[in-house]
Amino acid sequence: MDPIVYVSLGAALAAGLAGAASAFGVGVAGAAAAGVVAEDEKNFKNALILEGLPMTQSIYGLITLFLILLSAGIIGGGFKFTASTPDNIVKSAILLGAGLTVGLTGLSAIPQGVIASAGIGAVAKNPKTFTQGIIFAAMAETMAIFGLVGALIMIATGVGL
Amino acid sequence: MEAGTITGILDTTLALVFTWVAYKTGSYIYKYTPYSYPNARINAMEAKLLTEQRFNELAESRTLNNFIVSLEDTDYREYFTDVSEYSLEEVERGLERALAGTYTMMFNVLPKRVGPFFRLLLEEWDVRNIASVVKAKSLGEPASDYVIELGSMVPKVKAMAEAKSMEEILVILEGSPYEEPYQKLLLGEISLQEFETELYRMHYSKLLDYALSRKGEERVILEEFVRLKIDKLNILTLLRAKAAHMSAEEIRPLLINGGSLKLDSMLHVDDLSMALAELDGTKYGQVIRDVREEVEKDLSVLERTLEGHIVTRMNELTRFYPLSVATPLNYIVRKEREIRKLRAIAKLIADGMPAERIKGIVGGVA
Repeated sequence: MDPIVYVSLGAALAAGLAGAASAFGVGVAGAAAAGVVAEDEKNFKNALILEGLPMTQSIYGLITLFLILLSAGIIGGGFKFTASTPDNIVKSAILLGAGLTVGLTGLSAIPQGVIASAGIGAVAKNPKTFTQGIIFAAMAETMAIFGLVGALIMIATGVGL
Repeated sequence: MEAGTITGILDTTLALVFTWVAYKTGSYIYKYTPYSYPNARINAMEAKLLTEQRFNELAESRTLNNFIVSLEDTDYREYFTDVSEYSLEEVERGLERALAGTYTMMFNVLPKRVGPFFRLLLEEWDVRNIASVVKAKSLGEPASDYVIELGSMVPKVKAMAEAKSMEEILVILEGSPYEEPYQKLLLGEISLQEFETELYRMHYSKLLDYALSRKGEERVILEEFVRLKIDKLNILTLLRAKAAHMSAEEIRPLLINGGSLKLDSMLHVDDLSMALAELDGTKYGQVIRDVREEVEKDLSVLERTLEGHIVTRMNELTRFYPLSVATPLNYIVRKEREIRKLRAIAKLIADGMPAERIKGIVGGVA
């Protein structure tokens, strides 16, 4: 495959996988939120906060997409790796790796949605568990943050901005 | 390294990673997402179950009118809106409708792969109704007094209660799975007790078959639930039979297959005390240990204890599998217990029992 394919794939996977995972995560938590609100409208505020937690992975994906495109010169200049030389393939592969890292760790939005969903149910049963519910769901965020940090290092040191 | 080799390695890695990720993500989503909405809703419903303090307030209602008014701010309100006269029968019917509504709601909101289990659970009321009506008819009592308006064949049960002869009941039951045991009863091949056992045996066999046809944690939870229910029935039957000094041969036809407990050693002991000692050596030993002395005097204590054990076990499974069928099962057993208590309070109020005595009695209703 040509370097342009790897770079585009890296950017698309970062934003696409993380975005799709966020959509699933918010969907799962949203269904739970609808369930508790159907029983008692007072649950709306707590459910809304917990439902929003899996959205952050899509933001990480979007940041990575911009960085990959910037680094490869697609944004702000001409594409830097036009020729299919081993050096260009390795650099474009690094950008693909960075995108893949964020995309795959962004999948943590799905279990985060499941945790948030269970948390929404728990908060509906006992509102005092709200803070704990947020902490449990936020734990799944850690992997996505690690992925973003890893991708930043790969882009900055492997290719340069 | 050649550019072609690098791209080859990259492409193969990508294909492998994506296949694995797609499979894992897909199975994860299939397993948990269908429970997201129903379980959250059921958790919210659980928060609205009546507290002990609320039961005490209801016990102080003095009249059935006040009792219904006290339930106005609960989910029971919708089941009492068309109550014209505040009689015990009306209150009981309202509570029965509330329980039927809970089962129907479960069937509607739960994923299709477990929803039918709740329809099967509802059939237990058919079994209870048929057994009660047939027993009442055999004893010449007014059968309609024993009909509970719950289950999937209420019109048939009502027709049975109004039947003029035992043969007419056979015509009503024609085509239903209960026709065959009833035919045997009419022909005198089985006793009334054995007929009732046969109905329960058929019901629990259906439940167990359904549970065993599921996969993964759904199978684990449903199987445990059904086996706990069968164990409870078998233990109670066996101990009641031992209290009545029945022999192992007489008791055996009254037991239901499919429980987790081996009952052979308990069957061959001489009396209730020895049967309880045998039970102490099983997994139920821990459950009955604290109430053993009371159980020897009153077997209803054991019924409440075993009912409480099912609630506790379902609660544990709910904590272990929060997004699973354990949550609705846990809710159903709690709701059934709540309705039993409300029925008891309503009955005691109708009997003119003082509030303090009602509180004492209802506190012991499982």
